[in-house]
Amino acid sequence: MTPHPDQALSDWLLASADDEMVLAHRDSEWTGHAPILEEDIAFANLALDEMGHASLWFGALAELRGEDRAEYTDRLVFFRSAQEFRNIQMVELPRGDWAFSMVRQYLFDEAELLRLARLAHSQSEPIAQIAVKVQKEEIYHVRHTHAWIRRLGLGTEESRQRCQAALDELWPFAQQLFSTEEGAKVLVRDGIVPDPTEVRLAWEGVVGKNLTESGLMAPTAHEGVPLRRDEHTPHLTSLLAEMQSVARTEPSAVW
Amino acid sequence: MREQVAMGDASTAQSSRPDEAVLLRQFEARIARGQKIEPGDWMPEEYRRQLIRMISQHAHSEIVGMLPEGEWITRAPNLRRKMILLAKVQDEGGHGQYLYHAAETLGVTREEMIDGLLSGRAKYSSIFNYPSLTWADMGTIGWFVDGAAILNQTMLAKCSYGPYARAMVRICAEESFHMKQGKEMILLMSQGTPAQRAMVQDAIDRWWQPTLMMFGPHDKDSPNTPTLARWGIKTKTNDELRQTFVNQVAPEVLAIGFTLPDPHLHRDEASGNWVYGPIDWDEFWRVVGGDGPCNRQRLAVRRKAHEDGRWVRAALQAYAERQAQS
Amino acid sequence: MSDTQWPRFEVFKQDSHADRHAGVGSVHAPDGEMALLIARDVFVRRPDCVSLWVAPAQRISSFTVQQLASAAPPLRGSHGRGPESFEVFKKVHHKGVHTHVGQVTAETPFDALRAACQDFAEPPAHVWWLVPSASLVRSEPADSDSFFEPALHKPFRDQAFYRIQTLLRRLKKAGLAQKDGE
Repeated sequence: MTPHPDQALSDWLLASADDEMVLAHRDSEWTGHAPILEEDIAFANLALDEMGHASLWFGALAELRGEDRAEYTDRLVFFRSAQEFRNIQMVELPRGDWAFSMVRQYLFDEAELLRLARLAHSQSEPIAQIAVKVQKEEIYHVRHTHAWIRRLGLGTEESRQRCQAALDELWPFAQQLFSTEEGAKVLVRDGIVPDPTEVRLAWEGVVGKNLTESGLMAPTAHEGVPLRRDEHTPHLTSLLAEMQSVARTEPSAVW
Repeated sequence: MREQVAMGDASTAQSSRPDEAVLLRQFEARIARGQKIEPGDWMPEEYRRQLIRMISQHAHSEIVGMLPEGEWITRAPNLRRKMILLAKVQDEGGHGQYLYHAAETLGVTREEMIDGLLSGRAKYSSIFNYPSLTWADMGTIGWFVDGAAILNQTMLAKCSYGPYARAMVRICAEESFHMKQGKEMILLMSQGTPAQRAMVQDAIDRWWQPTLMMFGPHDKDSPNTPTLARWGIKTKTNDELRQTFVNQVAPEVLAIGFTLPDPHLHRDEASGNWVYGPIDWDEFWRVVGGDGPCNRQRLAVRRKAHEDGRWVRAALQAYAERQAQS
Repeated sequence: MSDTQWPRFEVFKQDSHADRHAGVGSVHAPDGEMALLIARDVFVRRPDCVSLWVAPAQRISSFTVQQLASAAPPLRGSHGRGPESFEVFKKVHHKGVHTHVGQVTAETPFDALRAACQDFAEPPAHVWWLVPSASLVRSEPADSDSFFEPALHKPFRDQAFYRIQTLLRRLKKAGLAQKDGE
């Protein structure tokens, strides 16, 4: 059964928003713990940008459903349970060491940048506008994380090994960035969102080249790729338990 | 590795200079005229020493200060508050940056300063050795602690040492939202549920006295102040700043229906000042001396971040060295 | 370069196209590209920047007027590389910052200072900074959108964003606030 385009769009917006929100939360965990003070500041900026992106996608969803933007966003972020979230599993994994967080960020940012370049031409005007805005910040994110991957890959033997280990672990999870949910096919057909297969090809090209130049190897194994966005690891449950803890003590409160 | 900010052979130059007493008079005259002392200018060794101490302590305070609030970013109750808190903590890191830079112009290295902090030798503002126990602490810290910091920093923005004054001007501009976001949060919660109001009262009860202690010992117990005043480093005394703070904030807190943990607090009609009760200086000195509720914990967090990051810094160094050679 | 003692880079920020680049502070970074990125995160959190430069502190030659008056001038000498372009920064007021005034061509920093004292004599300087143009790492105009525009979208960093007066009025209306806590 072909889902109603509005439902497909809702699902797509929610997925985009959840990806940014969960990743932003993981990034914000580094504040005060980064390897150098400069990165406390830089990574906090990344997290802030991503929360802004999440706001934009949640806001578009609120408009679509006729809800108040801020109130609806908070309801979705702070009062849904893990099985209602639609992020990919890669972003909910614990932050690991600096190499793990940098590699995860890099893989995500490159995919985002490629996706946004195409979304800027979406048949949906609101989506195109959001994409143009987000793209500006994403260009900077990629520059920043790419610089890190290069320096860690070509740094010491230890940093190279840590990066490679992170790549090996994250690669199957990264594939979920490009999996097409059944419902999204109608959005691709209507020119609302790009074909994920095409984005993946571009991503493999750019990432493969950059990894090689950074002394790293793009893994080939594709086993263990999560398929469904409504299936999560236990990590999301503990993440939400922390993230939602204060909000849930007084559900009707204004903060 | 000491940064050579100035060219020219300083030691050769000084042996042919007039004697120290003359230089000191000229130096003090410059300050009295409102001139800024810049890196490379002659300055008494004591001036340099005091400034390095003050500026690095200030920098350390910003860095350690990221922690009591940083812990709550992951638990902020809505997206707006989450972003605001993250931006605030990020600013604090940035302020630490500005201040380490200012201290470096006086000849101390960042390595030395970081080492001082992590070894426990260097001091930082004792306020950050108190735990942040509830979400309401975020609002209270913003309103009280940043409010107090703003008073101190506004004074320091006029200080005689150029790099420190300029860092302060930038910090003051950025800090104003820090206080306001806290005050806004408390005002909102004060109109909220009974649980929210109780949370605010509890936070006020814990943060009020430590905030008053932030301004330092009473003037009669502060031997450095006259010299620092003559050298344009400290133009208001501890008690003056503390009184300004109490006069500003006490009535505002009482006006929205909360109490302050000071049974002696009252407004003196004659002077217009809000008179406050005795401060527990034993507690202050204990916390300053490293025996506060969170001293060890705060330093442990910074040490762990430092240790865990060692391989990262080594990698960046290796990369840079290789690039320099090619 | 030891563990946390990465090289220092001075940072120069141009607030608008009508302004000149001015010194705002410094960052520590392992190399020039990282210095530029770090400088952006440390110094451009508010929306008032169109261009950013960083220069290794080691390559900056600094001369205060006081030093010049009291010190013997350094020996003239050539480093054999031939003349190169130097960027010139001046600090003019006591409360001011190092502002970019232009360029000179010279063989050594001191020769560059001489040239700068002539070419940019007015107004009188308190401090001169000379740095080889080739040592500067600059943000490109194409970077502006991704480097500087994002700061516009974070209004919560502006103190005017907070609704203190509105909230106080609401509290008073609800009878939860009195004047002056009396």
